[in-house]
Amino acid sequence: MPDVTFRILRFKPGRIDPPAYVDFPVRLAPHMTVLDGLDQIRRDQAPGLMYRHCCHHASCGTCACIINGTASLACMTRVADLGEGPVTLAPLTNYPCVGDLAVDMRAFYKKMDDRWANIRLCENATADRVPPGVGQLMRLENCIECGCCVASCPVSGASQEFFGPAVLAAINNEMRNRPCRGEKLLQTAADQRGAPMCRRHLNCSRVCPSQVYPARHIADLLRAIDDKKKSGAF
Amino acid sequence: MEHILIIGGGGTGGALSHDLALRGFHVTLVEKGSLLSGTSGRHHGLLHSGARYALHDVETAAECYAENQILRRLAPQAIEPNDGLFVALSDDDMSYQKDFMNRCRSAGIPVRCVSAAKALSLEPELHPQIKGAVQVPDGTMDAWRLPLHFFATAKANGARIYPFNQVSALTRNNGRVTGAKVKDLRTGRTRTLSADVVVNATGPWAGRVAATAGLDVPVRPGPGVMVSMAGRKCNMVINRLHPAGEGDILVPQRRQTIIGTTIWLADDPDQVQPPEDQVASLIGMGARLMPVLSKEPVHAVWWASRPLLQNGDMENPMRSSRGFACIDHLERDGVEGLISLIGGKATTLRAMAREAADLICRKTGRAIACFTASTPLISYRKIMQTADGWI
Repeated sequence: MPDVTFRILRFKPGRIDPPAYVDFPVRLAPHMTVLDGLDQIRRDQAPGLMYRHCCHHASCGTCACIINGTASLACMTRVADLGEGPVTLAPLTNYPCVGDLAVDMRAFYKKMDDRWANIRLCENATADRVPPGVGQLMRLENCIECGCCVASCPVSGASQEFFGPAVLAAINNEMRNRPCRGEKLLQTAADQRGAPMCRRHLNCSRVCPSQVYPARHIADLLRAIDDKKKSGAF
Repeated sequence: MEHILIIGGGGTGGALSHDLALRGFHVTLVEKGSLLSGTSGRHHGLLHSGARYALHDVETAAECYAENQILRRLAPQAIEPNDGLFVALSDDDMSYQKDFMNRCRSAGIPVRCVSAAKALSLEPELHPQIKGAVQVPDGTMDAWRLPLHFFATAKANGARIYPFNQVSALTRNNGRVTGAKVKDLRTGRTRTLSADVVVNATGPWAGRVAATAGLDVPVRPGPGVMVSMAGRKCNMVINRLHPAGEGDILVPQRRQTIIGTTIWLADDPDQVQPPEDQVASLIGMGARLMPVLSKEPVHAVWWASRPLLQNGDMENPMRSSRGFACIDHLERDGVEGLISLIGGKATTLRAMAREAADLICRKTGRAIACFTASTPLISYRKIMQTADGWI
């Protein structure tokens, strides 16, 4: 197998500061993902390399970074699909970098209410598919809170105030999961830092690795807000 | 109260930090990478009912079921609670049905006989020629968010949790382990953390950590490959009704269906080379349960190293015990101050923590009961909102 170069923007406060690109040769292996490459570098060349990872199959959302210019999950990006040239890796934009590829996600999660559900009814939960004794067929939400949408959103980049695509998508999901709270949630979304701040760049839907399509949720919210305004409710 | 240093930020360390913090101990946890980045986060996400072990390890099976019921209560936001089916593909598989159901029941696991027609109505993508099935209380867990609930609650109760902090060596003084030298990968600085008790909860790396104090731990990395196929093809976990083997389980999660798994024995948890032919072979075996899987694109391929206890028969690692060991190195090696907590399953993380915390209470002369079975956990999002973010 040939080698490929990983060009990683390294940062260690006070040590590699300002951040600087460092090249690492990586031995390719079948099915190799960018995350596998990072594991190899940490094992063989740079034991102090910092990056977040956990599930390795796009369920946890921790390994998001900027891969060749696009916010992506390292575990879902196959090195063979990236074409010629080095694989360039940088930490997610629009978040403070903690070290190397690891970013501080506090601002993202502070906007994500911890009471909002992370599971919902299965789409195909017809009566004949519900096993005896199981009340309702439930599944984990599509959004894995990786932060790619926020990293690629120019509005989030310009203002920390903006709720961001993931939070607005979560609000729209929560309105569906708990209709009794719909009115209050819609008022939250209608805040001037909420859906009205979106400028429809649509980057969020393009980069989302989990098919959440946040821009669609924001469009839903804006329509609902508009309806409320027309009816004089807002 | 005594200071307990936990090495390893996997599910075991997370559950133990919660248990100890709840009992009032001062707790520090260090993890060389990000939390749950070793073995814990990488499993297929099965919330075991215990049925998978019923035929060869009734004790683990019973423990899995008890913990399954507790976790469903404690972390419902991280679980798809849709039960599972053990499906017979052949008359030979069907011959296990009665024995399987009896053994499940003797382990306390409620099971239900399901006809082939009923199974196909519950899960239409199953192979149309199945002979019958058994319903068990399996589920799917979010392998990151479920254990993160424990970390979040531990942190809220005062535990200090430091990812990207790597132990270079345990420290010893007068024949006892007194703490560890820890390097902060961010600042590059090494400090010595002193503790009354050190817990080695580093899974397949446990041998390496113990070796820095001249001790050994009977753990062997047992890696396995998992393949995830694009598309959610079932809501229930699907197992093949036969003695546990490779490629005989399908775990749905979000928009994917995960085929698990294989097993082999490795010497070094960092030098794992998955055999090339395992991906195709797993897809082939998964497609025997659900033919549609052979037509779907591969979503992800990954592996994880199980921490297998070396307690006897390693000839058939798939059926070796998934029990855990809580080793007091005072009893085993005459060295005070160190416990190794290894083996076990993601499903049994809370029970492992309880046993280790009970041992720590005995060692420190404290009589404090365990309350983790009934203490609600707080949302995983809490730790992401309050911790220094690079969790």
